[in-house]
Amino acid sequence: MRIGSHELRLEKRLTLTGWEAAIISILAIIFGLALFSIIFILDGVNPLFAYQEIFSYAFANPYGLPLTMSRFIFLLLCTSAFIIPFRAGLWNIGMTGQLYVGALGAFAVLFALGGKASRSADLSPGILIPLMLIGAALGGAGLAAIAGFLKGRFNINEIVVTMLLNFIAFWLVSFMIKEGGPFMNPGGRGESFELPFSVRAPLIMGIPFTIFLALGIALVLYFLFAKTQIGYQIRAYGHSPAAARYAGISTFRIPLLVFIMGGAVAGLAGYHYFAAVPGVYKIARNYGFFGDLAFYGIICGLIALGNPLAAIPVALLFGGLSIGGRFVQGKLNMGFGLDYALLGVLMITLVAFQFFYRYKIVWVKTGEDRLDVGVYR
Amino acid sequence: MSHSILGKSQEEKQVQKGLLDGIKRGETVLEARGITKRFPGVVANDHIDFEIRAGEIHAILGENGAGKTTLMNILFGLYQPDEGEVIVGGKEVKFRSPLDAIDLGIGMVHQNRKLVSAHTVIENIVLGHPRAGKILNLKRTGGEINELCERYGFKIDLRAKVWQLSEGEKQVVEILKALYRGAKVLILDEPTSALAPPETKKLLASIEAMATDELAIVPFITHKLPIVLAISDRVTVLRRGKVTARSETACVTEKSLAKEMVGREVIFRLERANVETGKPILQVENLSALSDKGFLALEGVSFSVREGEIFGIAGVSGNGQHELAEVLAGLRKAQGGKVILGGKDITHSSCLERWQMGLGYIPSERVEVGSIGDFSLVENIAMNFYFDANFSQRGIVDYGNIRKLTEEIVSEYNVAAPSPDTKAKNLSGGNLQKLILARVLSRRPRLLIANLPTQGLDVGATEFVRNKLMEAKKEKAGILLISEDLDEVLSVSDWVAPIYEGKFTGIIPGEEAKRESVGAMMAGSRPPLFLPPVGGGEGGQET
Repeated sequence: MRIGSHELRLEKRLTLTGWEAAIISILAIIFGLALFSIIFILDGVNPLFAYQEIFSYAFANPYGLPLTMSRFIFLLLCTSAFIIPFRAGLWNIGMTGQLYVGALGAFAVLFALGGKASRSADLSPGILIPLMLIGAALGGAGLAAIAGFLKGRFNINEIVVTMLLNFIAFWLVSFMIKEGGPFMNPGGRGESFELPFSVRAPLIMGIPFTIFLALGIALVLYFLFAKTQIGYQIRAYGHSPAAARYAGISTFRIPLLVFIMGGAVAGLAGYHYFAAVPGVYKIARNYGFFGDLAFYGIICGLIALGNPLAAIPVALLFGGLSIGGRFVQGKLNMGFGLDYALLGVLMITLVAFQFFYRYKIVWVKTGEDRLDVGVYR
Repeated sequence: MSHSILGKSQEEKQVQKGLLDGIKRGETVLEARGITKRFPGVVANDHIDFEIRAGEIHAILGENGAGKTTLMNILFGLYQPDEGEVIVGGKEVKFRSPLDAIDLGIGMVHQNRKLVSAHTVIENIVLGHPRAGKILNLKRTGGEINELCERYGFKIDLRAKVWQLSEGEKQVVEILKALYRGAKVLILDEPTSALAPPETKKLLASIEAMATDELAIVPFITHKLPIVLAISDRVTVLRRGKVTARSETACVTEKSLAKEMVGREVIFRLERANVETGKPILQVENLSALSDKGFLALEGVSFSVREGEIFGIAGVSGNGQHELAEVLAGLRKAQGGKVILGGKDITHSSCLERWQMGLGYIPSERVEVGSIGDFSLVENIAMNFYFDANFSQRGIVDYGNIRKLTEEIVSEYNVAAPSPDTKAKNLSGGNLQKLILARVLSRRPRLLIANLPTQGLDVGATEFVRNKLMEAKKEKAGILLISEDLDEVLSVSDWVAPIYEGKFTGIIPGEEAKRESVGAMMAGSRPPLFLPPVGGGEGGQET
């Protein structure tokens, strides 16, 4: 675009530092919030007030903050579960199913060791909680391994497989917890039996200990991709399976491995939501809601560009906004779905602003005063 | 931009269409004046002046990265020049997109084919043609296209699907597409780089036929000097974005062109180094393998390579040599037979095990297999070192050490790259090949398999690669060289094995191999001279 002797031009970026990416993301968030204020204005609400309410409830309120943190842990685990196969160029659309089977795995441990008998059963948390974590990880990994195996051995599209496994897992949970199912709540109600008090996950200042798990996994993954042989092999396969094969990397083992790892992390997300979040402690009737929420892991992973550390602030932001948005919707008597709409708008602006990861706008003096008109002069 | 995006006025269209009508032989049709194009960090074209006349074949010559393709993309409207003018039929034009150029009668055949592979030849040709209308009149169109084919000597089945075609045939489709759109200027970007020798010959004949026709005007971009000399009328040489020579082809020699192109004298003939050969490093017994499409591409090949010798396989691509290279590298399963490396049977070893045992493989697909475009140079070098105990301990890759190695390679091999963190996709073809070669040679392989190591490289880079192969030979590596370039095989190999339809048609000592006889054997003939004595095995296998 030319204006007088000056020109606005798009230039390709050759490099992008972490700081530039962070600044672009922050600008995107500001832009997205500004855009969404139209919704508040249309409803006669001062957007500044609304945002203040959202953020203060999500991040500074004694009731809101623990909710935000639980949501954040869940999102971060789902994001990590997406990122691991993503770095291998594969799409895990099945965190939903993997977390269901992970939850079933955790509850199966309890079931086998007598946890169903009574809420006050006296079980040893030092043994049972680790076992439940392992059960959850194995469950998620087992389901995802199917997709990894089919991809590695027969090159069957992993998106389709993980997606369809979600449905199988959904109905499997239903079979297990509804009337007649082995994990059925003694009182019926279409939910699972409750966790005995003795094995509920310990809380640290009201936040489940799984936060260390989630942050630890993000750190380990960052190290894995940046420094290790395995990480190198995964990334090489992700950019070019043919080149990876040439470099001696097994094109069977890598898809299998990343799906096992991703599935295990998604399984832990299942443990977290159904066995560690205060006030839940069972596979709830509306368990489908958490499955849907798992899809935000995909978007968080894409916004973080597959970087496990960048995923931390992204998951925290979206965890907070989903809690704060829901709160403000109720408090200000606004329409249903405000929180989802807010998340959606922000995600779209964040993804759209990634354009500036590749291009920058520069303002240059052309020196020559001319206009582009017609095909030739 | 203030003009309408939707299109030109009726009047404008008329003027444009007419620009190249009625042009006579020898008149200037397309001219570039002072074309300058800058990309971040480089000036790809620096005030280039250049013109093409009707009925001439004008070669544009230059090393990789000299700016040939950029210039042609500007003439075709893919890029807008930063400075300078493009003049068609005496009028200055400003292309907004290739559509404008096509409307004016400029056609371009890209190095990378741009065809719909699931469609037939005729569908690809009419795709986007304004006259094709809404309902395809395939009968009439087919007739017109067949006429074009006859006139210029193309042979092609119009109803074949594009995926079934060879590279040469795909190129013919691209040329037909441009001609059918009414191209009067045809820009061919490195048209022979993917072609086998017989296909090249056919193409050159067609190009000459087009040039004798009043309307066909054919600039020609290549770095293959013999082709330039054989076919072009005039030649323009580019070096680092500038025109360094402009001449009638009759007034230049291969040597003088190479000098202008590279900027220094180039040695064409390599002295075959005399190295005392050691024990056999590779023994192949009766090896066979399937192609990607599932038929037997390699049928029972036997040979051996000793330390310090170059075993050259000459053949037109698609005769099983690619499958052979992949089986040896562990990237393709052997259907039968044995591969023995340094006395050990590796027929069923994995690719990684072979690397660790001292096999080095330079693949012909540099971009798709030999490197990872989105990886930095350091990470690309790591492809052959991430598993090496000197560069990785207890599962942790020592990127610091690999970076040092990368810096050494970049300076020793003169890889033109701003830093070790540059992404490999930003390297030119020649530099990428240097990087791959250096990476593999840094492992000091006992057996080196080089599949088309100089294909598509310019004169300077080719010389460099061949010298490096010679150095490796002097260091007692056994080398298996696969090449389509007969001169290359003949000039460096200690043994020459022409391959045809999955079998060697002979194995000849390098000094005795003659161009004519080996050429004939590449095409399948087995002259009596090379038949084994009565009672011998297949081919003239050395023992």
